[in-house]
Amino acid sequence: MNNSMERHLNILEFTLASLLRRKAKNLSLLAMYLLVVFMLASLLFFVTALKREAAIILNDAPDMIVQRLMAGRQDLVPVDYVAGIAQIKGVTAVRPRLWGYYYDALNGANFTIMAGDDSAAGSGKTAIGSGVAKTRNLMVGDLLPLIGYDKSPVMLEIGTIFPSASDLIAADLIVISPDDFHHLFNFPAGQATDLAVTVRNPKELATVAAKIVSRFPDSRPILKSEIQRTYQSIFDWRGGMMLLVLASSLLSFIIFAWDKATGLSAEERKEIGILKSIGWETSDVLLLKFWEGIVISLTAFLLGTVLAYGHVFFLSAPLFAQALKGWSVLYPHFRLVPVVDVYQLAVLFFLTVVPYTTATIIPCWRAATIDPDAAMRY
Amino acid sequence: MIELSGITKSFNSGEPNQFTAVDNVSLVVHPQRITVLKGPSGSGKTSLLTMIGCMARPTSGRIFLRGVAAAVPFQQEGMDSVEITSLPERFLNDIRRSTFGFIFQQFNLVKGISVLENVMLPAYPTGERRPDFRARALGLLEQFSISRHAGQRIELLSGGELQRVAIARALINNPAIIIADEPTAHLDSKLSQEFMAIVGRLKGEGKSVLIASHDPIVFDSPLIDRVVEMRDGAVVNSGSSR
Repeated sequence: MNNSMERHLNILEFTLASLLRRKAKNLSLLAMYLLVVFMLASLLFFVTALKREAAIILNDAPDMIVQRLMAGRQDLVPVDYVAGIAQIKGVTAVRPRLWGYYYDALNGANFTIMAGDDSAAGSGKTAIGSGVAKTRNLMVGDLLPLIGYDKSPVMLEIGTIFPSASDLIAADLIVISPDDFHHLFNFPAGQATDLAVTVRNPKELATVAAKIVSRFPDSRPILKSEIQRTYQSIFDWRGGMMLLVLASSLLSFIIFAWDKATGLSAEERKEIGILKSIGWETSDVLLLKFWEGIVISLTAFLLGTVLAYGHVFFLSAPLFAQALKGWSVLYPHFRLVPVVDVYQLAVLFFLTVVPYTTATIIPCWRAATIDPDAAMRY
Repeated sequence: MIELSGITKSFNSGEPNQFTAVDNVSLVVHPQRITVLKGPSGSGKTSLLTMIGCMARPTSGRIFLRGVAAAVPFQQEGMDSVEITSLPERFLNDIRRSTFGFIFQQFNLVKGISVLENVMLPAYPTGERRPDFRARALGLLEQFSISRHAGQRIELLSGGELQRVAIARALINNPAIIIADEPTAHLDSKLSQEFMAIVGRLKGEGKSVLIASHDPIVFDSPLIDRVVEMRDGAVVNSGSSR
């Protein structure tokens, strides 16, 4: 091993011994640092994973949704539109969708009710999300009582409970037959909430949308890419809100760390003088302080990141879930697929490790450039 | 041999409060001898020591190290001579590390770390292998009968033990010259005598020892080869070798 390497190892070893001397100070600093990295990394992992999850789910969404506007507000779409849109070249399928929201006064929850064609939700039957089942304490075969538009009870037998794996999209979902849907909401016949349009060539989506608008001027086509973009923005916005909440604690940490890192105590100053007087160069002292900064900040970064990974991907982020997932009463229980954005992690690294290490070195610079004879005068 | 030629050290030069700590001192310090700089406080002893030990530069004058294998890539005025006052900081550090061992008035040991680590401290940045200088440090602690304290923190040591740790630290890089500034200022008479005995042993091992002191136990010691008297920054009696 060459001299330079030995020098680094020797100084690193002294750094560790040196850090252990001020256990209370350094451990409290490490703990706060760790907490901040943990919070930021958790937020980063969570938002990234959620965005990816949303993107995967939206992949199965229809290429285009066509709504109808009336006086600037969304209105029901006449089913007659289906035939007109289906005639447009490039359109492979048009499906009218019936869906809406049901406020459950009992639990204060808002369920999404959708009319489905599958056998699980034949007339008088329903398929529900696990969130609904849990809130109402229901099992397959039980009856789900809903209150119709005219306050009359509608009893539906539970045929299926969606598995927990689909919780992110299905936790609050109740799928019923089209007949029951019309009956429950007094939904007018020949109308749909919106239309799901499938287009053969994704490149033609904009053209098809333009043709739909020209054929049905009161329609509003929404492309899948637009929905995806909106979701990304929503999660970014939620992440930003969370960051804002964390900002005050972040700021306190920065002030605390800055104070600890930049404030050289008289004892530390004297120590630097001693080291200089016994033959340490300015660069040796700076190397010592550099390692001190690196040991603290890198430990906090690595440990904080690993803990955040566990928090988000193994424990489903219990600290942030309520603020970030967006359900009011039915918080879906699901495990996020681990996804780590290396770029964001690198940014976090440069925002935490680099400033702290620099803040540690700079004040020592002045102390380390003092004449070594100062130590003779203590 | 250390040769000082017209050394002057002024502080706050050009200011109304200019102060000359060392005034035109010329002196030759012989190798493998014990030389004492004697004088009251403020006589310029410590300032002179710091300049000889490459810790500070004189305002004017030159200092030569002769017959010392100093760690500089070039040497002037013959094969074994270095003029240290004009060397860049980097070389001064190298010389300070390899040629001089320092014993300070307040010992200047680092609190919170062990005796052994304190002794090894000057060797850390040299790039030497740790097991090598660790073995040397343990040998020194053994030599000064404090090896049983090797793992203890220095706060738990007595004054005499601290002194011996400071001496061991001064010797870790095997320097040719030991510089001690008022080494007995915080020791009682018995410990001061012990210190002088150690200094005598170092001389026997071929070290040059330069001590600044106004303690009679030091400058009246029969071990001393030469006493240089200073007052108001100047040498008033350059003393002949005993």
